[in-house]
Amino acid sequence: MFPTLRRYLAVYRMFVSNCFAAASSYRLHFVLLIVMDQLFYGSLLGSVDFIFDHVARIGAWDRAHFMFFIAFMLAVDHLHMTFVSESFWDFSFDLRTGRLDFILLRPLNTLFSIFARLIRPATMINFFIPWGFLIYFGRVVELSLLSWLFLFPLVVLALLLLTAIEICFSMLMFWTIEAYGINFLRMQLQQIARWPEFIYQGFARRFFTLMIPVLLVGSAPVHFLFDPRQWLGLVWMLLALLVVSGLIAFFWRWGLRSYESASS
Amino acid sequence: MTEWAKWWATIRISWTKQLAYKLNLLLLVIGPTLVFFFVKYSLWTAIFRVEGITTIQGYDLAGMLHYQIWAMIVGFLAQGYNSMNLAEDIRLGRISSYLVYPFGFWPYQTASFIAFQGLQIIVAAISFVILAASGLLVDWHLSQVLLGTGFSLLMGVFWYQTSYLIGLAAFWLEETWVLRVMFLTVAQFLSGALLPLEIYPAWLLAILRWTPFPYLTFTPVKIFMGTYQGSLSEALAVLLFWLALVSWASQITWRRGLRLYTAAGM
Repeated sequence: MFPTLRRYLAVYRMFVSNCFAAASSYRLHFVLLIVMDQLFYGSLLGSVDFIFDHVARIGAWDRAHFMFFIAFMLAVDHLHMTFVSESFWDFSFDLRTGRLDFILLRPLNTLFSIFARLIRPATMINFFIPWGFLIYFGRVVELSLLSWLFLFPLVVLALLLLTAIEICFSMLMFWTIEAYGINFLRMQLQQIARWPEFIYQGFARRFFTLMIPVLLVGSAPVHFLFDPRQWLGLVWMLLALLVVSGLIAFFWRWGLRSYESASS
Repeated sequence: MTEWAKWWATIRISWTKQLAYKLNLLLLVIGPTLVFFFVKYSLWTAIFRVEGITTIQGYDLAGMLHYQIWAMIVGFLAQGYNSMNLAEDIRLGRISSYLVYPFGFWPYQTASFIAFQGLQIIVAAISFVILAASGLLVDWHLSQVLLGTGFSLLMGVFWYQTSYLIGLAAFWLEETWVLRVMFLTVAQFLSGALLPLEIYPAWLLAILRWTPFPYLTFTPVKIFMGTYQGSLSEALAVLLFWLALVSWASQITWRRGLRLYTAAGM
């Protein structure tokens, strides 16, 4: 167990080191990535702030609670952009060009090799904005000590669920020749998850909670952080994570059988 | 082969290429606009219904949803083009062929855009017919629809020319998608795509008036709705000014970029 873990950590360290080396080669791109992230954070927070200039509450939440939710999702998004998002774009390229052959041959778990290979250092160093807002609004809504203790683990749990759902969807790339569309679909799921579940009504809410559980990603942990008695959402999250992981394993094996190894 | 025949042949080829991967086209062009509309529809319904608010800056729920429906049609009509292939062509050295062929890089890209624009018009027209037939779009007048469509198509040309300029940055940058995402983020925020601009603070509106952003969504939507209160000639003048500026910048960028071009892979 421990030697395997140590080996994977050593490999991951190498992945990170390579990404930093690549990032330092393209400095303008590096700076532009930082600006891009800040524009994104600013536009989302600004939009919600402008809405609350005209309304006192949306659903059960006032400005501070709603902004805390947005900041929570930005923190999830920050980790997602830093550690996994680049890999999805590369996965489509790997499949289209047959480069997946070389990854399959590595003496490593292939999914680890695909989805943990690329990180984005520019986004990593941008951490102070989303996390700063999260802490600021956490103080404004007066989170309890228990909620502060659970805050970071729940951001990570949200990231795990979002990533698992996206990996599951990315398995569709095995069957589509041009996979940009699947990546855009993935981004649309993120867009839906960025708003609390109570803004969606009826079938849409049930569909995006039970069938494609993106509404659990932010809403379940934030409801728990506001009121620890609402722990049931976390159980749903864990259950969803389990089911989606099973689906990934199934579609991965099925996808590999359909993989045509282009250019080989 | 006459110049016109070259344009027509390129438009036809691009049309076929766009339709070759139909699922991809659906997910790239229609999906994002549809999902964005779904989120906005849900958000504004929740704000109005749950809170029992009757109006926000002159919009009641029906008016706000009407605004968002027209914003979706404007999105379908003129905001789908991206310059992904263009930047890749430069980076991978594929533009060498355009330098020797009797049909240049800009004409080729523009002809491809025209083909893409044709698809966008069809998608927008189908959406309009469905929404009007289902009763979701009410109180529309043919003159407003024609005027709004004309303005949106001009805005589509600006959108294309800006995407082209962003793509040309590939002469200097390894990746240009970052610039594209920055443009999209700012455009979405400042154009009135999420919130009608009346909701924004007055000081911001005063600045925005001289930028191209309000003319990307807010102005065409208000023209479609028949409630545009500004001067249409001023809106056209500002948009044409920005279009001319971006076109001029594209020419300069192309000429300077070519000096750096190393024809990778040749």
